[in-house]
Amino acid sequence: MLPSSNLILQSVLDGVFLGFLYSLMALGLSLVFGVMGIINFAHGDFIMLGSYLVWILANSLRSDPSLMSVITVPLFFTIGAAIYVAIIRPVLGKEPLIQIAVTVGVGYVLQNLALMMFRAEPRAVQISYLNFYVNLGLVSVHTAKLTSALLSLFIVLGVHYLLTKTWVGLAIRATAYDKEIASLMGINVGKIFLLVFGLGISLTGLAASLWMTFGQADPYIGSSFGLLTWVIIALGGLGGVSGLLASSIIVGVIQSLTMTLVSPSVSLAIPYIVFIIVLWFRPQGLFGKG
Amino acid sequence: MRARISSFVLPALIVVVAGATVPFLVGFNQYYVLLALQSVIIASIALAWNIIGGYAGQLDLASFAYVGLGGILATTLMTEYNITPWVGMFLGAGVSATLAFFIGYPLFRFGVKGVWYALSTAALVVILHEVSIMVLGSFDYYIPFVEGWYYLRFRTWENLYYFSLIILAFVISLNLYISRSKVGYYLKAIREDEVAAEAVGIDIRKYKLLALMTYASILGFIGYIYIVSQRTFSYKTFDSSLSVYIAIIGIVGGLGSVSGTFTAALILKVVEEYLRGYLGGVLPGLHLLLFGVLLITVGILRPEGLSTLTDALVKKVKARIWGGAP
Amino acid sequence: MSDAVLLEVVNLSKRFGGITALNNVSMRITKGEILGIIGPNGAGKTTLVNCVTGIYKPDGGKVLFLGEDITGRQPHFIALKGIARTWQKIRPFYNMTVIEAVTAGALLRTKDVLKAREEAAEILEFVGIPRSKFEVLGKNIALIEHKLVDLARAIATKPKLLFLDEVVAGLRPHEVDVIADVVKKVNREMGITLGVIEHVMRFVMNISDRIVVLHEGRLLTQGKPAEVARDPLVVEAYLGTKPV
Ligand SMILES: Nc1ncnc2c1ncn2[C@@H]1O[C@H](COP(=O)(O)OP(=O)(O)OP(=O)(O)O)[C@@H](O)[C@H]1O
Ligand SMILES: [Mg+2]
Repeated sequence: MLPSSNLILQSVLDGVFLGFLYSLMALGLSLVFGVMGIINFAHGDFIMLGSYLVWILANSLRSDPSLMSVITVPLFFTIGAAIYVAIIRPVLGKEPLIQIAVTVGVGYVLQNLALMMFRAEPRAVQISYLNFYVNLGLVSVHTAKLTSALLSLFIVLGVHYLLTKTWVGLAIRATAYDKEIASLMGINVGKIFLLVFGLGISLTGLAASLWMTFGQADPYIGSSFGLLTWVIIALGGLGGVSGLLASSIIVGVIQSLTMTLVSPSVSLAIPYIVFIIVLWFRPQGLFGKG
Repeated sequence: MRARISSFVLPALIVVVAGATVPFLVGFNQYYVLLALQSVIIASIALAWNIIGGYAGQLDLASFAYVGLGGILATTLMTEYNITPWVGMFLGAGVSATLAFFIGYPLFRFGVKGVWYALSTAALVVILHEVSIMVLGSFDYYIPFVEGWYYLRFRTWENLYYFSLIILAFVISLNLYISRSKVGYYLKAIREDEVAAEAVGIDIRKYKLLALMTYASILGFIGYIYIVSQRTFSYKTFDSSLSVYIAIIGIVGGLGSVSGTFTAALILKVVEEYLRGYLGGVLPGLHLLLFGVLLITVGILRPEGLSTLTDALVKKVKARIWGGAP
Repeated sequence: MSDAVLLEVVNLSKRFGGITALNNVSMRITKGEILGIIGPNGAGKTTLVNCVTGIYKPDGGKVLFLGEDITGRQPHFIALKGIARTWQKIRPFYNMTVIEAVTAGALLRTKDVLKAREEAAEILEFVGIPRSKFEVLGKNIALIEHKLVDLARAIATKPKLLFLDEVVAGLRPHEVDVIADVVKKVNREMGITLGVIEHVMRFVMNISDRIVVLHEGRLLTQGKPAEVARDPLVVEAYLGTKPV
């Protein structure tokens, strides 16, 4: 029995929507790695923590999860800045293994904090204003997914604008290019790092709010989002917003298609198989500059 | 020449003899003997990791891909075809080493290293986890009870524990042997600087692959014992977070330090068990949370891990034994 | 046989994006000599060594070592053939002891670790590292010691040809003299042919038998130290004015 072309179309569309959200999830990681060279293995766990926070807030305020970003974004910026000062700054410039070790440590803390507080059950919000389908004939559109995709795209382009068109963005890019030269130019590299790490983490808070409009929180989504966002960066190569978007959408579509056509467990494995194969042939990423 | 052999066999013998007294000390209490068995298994896995992670400096996060593959193979051969694990464990080692070859060859050939190597190996565990859901379904497989040396399964845990001590002794000796041999010098040079290592004539791909396959085959061998000690296997045996945990032991212990890794494995296992026993009911995951804190602290304050402490201790003991001269 | 050609580089080219770091460079190194390789910053000196030792694959041209084509071969193969090098930007083995680092080099020609260690100890003493430093970790030694250990590590592979990439850069004048003596000894007593890249003129003019000058990826000129020093092309290259 062949799946109908409608089914395939529907699944591609869902994959594209998911892909846009993935690009927002990966954006912060890409910034932190690209600008600071910090290998953050706790990135996904911040998305996980954000999801739980959104779950609590949305349920107690009886409101839509996406609106909770008003709280999660500034809160996560502060958390990110604090973690930068306490944990990341001391290991700047140290061997990658040490950086990985401390961020794995942070991930462990967050993950098990969630496990202690919420046990292992998945949690979904009760109210999501946009949690319905609009039928367009050939396909139907899940409005929450559509909205989160559009908002993600908007934010990704906004951050791209910030980086390319503003003075702060220039300073960030100069720092990414060469710390020493940047500081000779009078840029306060310490402040830029604080800003970038805070921004990177606050973006996970935002992504979590959008994720919760249709997804669920559980202590393990952190590991899967963490690995998935790294895969996206590996495929996209660092630096370009178009590479990031393209690789996110590829991952989203592959996942969604295999989910529909083969099985959910394959859909979880397939991005990683693609990832390993791509690494073999292009260690600099599919869209990275060779 | 005899002095050199004793230098890597003696420490292993000491560990075995000391370890063998444990069942007597705990009065053959099965809870403690099982705990000792699990500690020895974790220590052996962490010391195998030391070869690829500690000596060769490749942050491998796939340990339980190899443990799971080898272990499930040997267990299935036993339950389905009545093939003794004495054979199955070697087949498990072979299959894990083969997987390591197919993963490692292209990764090293194309120069995948650092964080990308770590991620590929983490991805490998996820892939096997998901694939095994398809193959095995989402059940837990309990091993039907059979007894005797032919099956390496016993009514009580002591025999398996003694057997695991022998494996541990082998892994310790192998580590010490490697660190004193040409391979060890080459792996450490690769860890420190791959380009400089190549320039002094080291075939870095070959040696990294050798380290990876050695590590994988030890894990594939241990797999059966691990599954028996857990009493069950399933897709969950391909455990990402346990694989990360093994690397954490290696880092907390100090890269390349046998005494540090061994000590870290034992301390972490005992602390874990203690916290789980006393607080686990109230707060699941507390011990892992504390490990996270420990890892951060080690990373920031003591990147060389426990090794400086344990190395000093080993030196002192050596001085005692040989009367001063190091 | 004193003019036997050891290394021959033919029309070697290497580009990085838009930059042509090496542009059709041809040159020879004769057995036994000390060849000075000079040129302003960015002239392509390090790139030349990287292409010869296999760290980079050249885009064009050939590298012949003792008549054998070794172009684009892997670094470890080339090291085994007998070409070693030191690094302009030091690449120490920080978490290995001094003696271990040099032993790793010596293990290229033997499997026996004890023998390699003995050789390493001799070489370390030869370059002037006292025994008291042997068990110190790489991360705990001074710059001059790094340079000497790097040199010892390369010598330990028993090369026929050794490139020294700015061994004295960043050192104090009296340290430069120490290294000059060591380098001469390496050439005379160990019989190793040397390619010495250097900016410090006093040093390179003093020790070299012959000098080649690179400029903007091309071979500008070559000759005896005194001739090269007087060559107006060389003077202009260093002053930064382009010959018209
Ligand atoms: N890996 C690389 N990627 C891009 N460009 C490079 C690379 N290596 C060298 N270059 C460029 O090639 C040119 C030659 O560099 P090279 O390092 O060979 O010069 P050099 O003569 O050794 O200079 P110096 O005296 O400063 O060491 C320079 O313009 C340099 O920027
Ligand atoms: Mg140079």
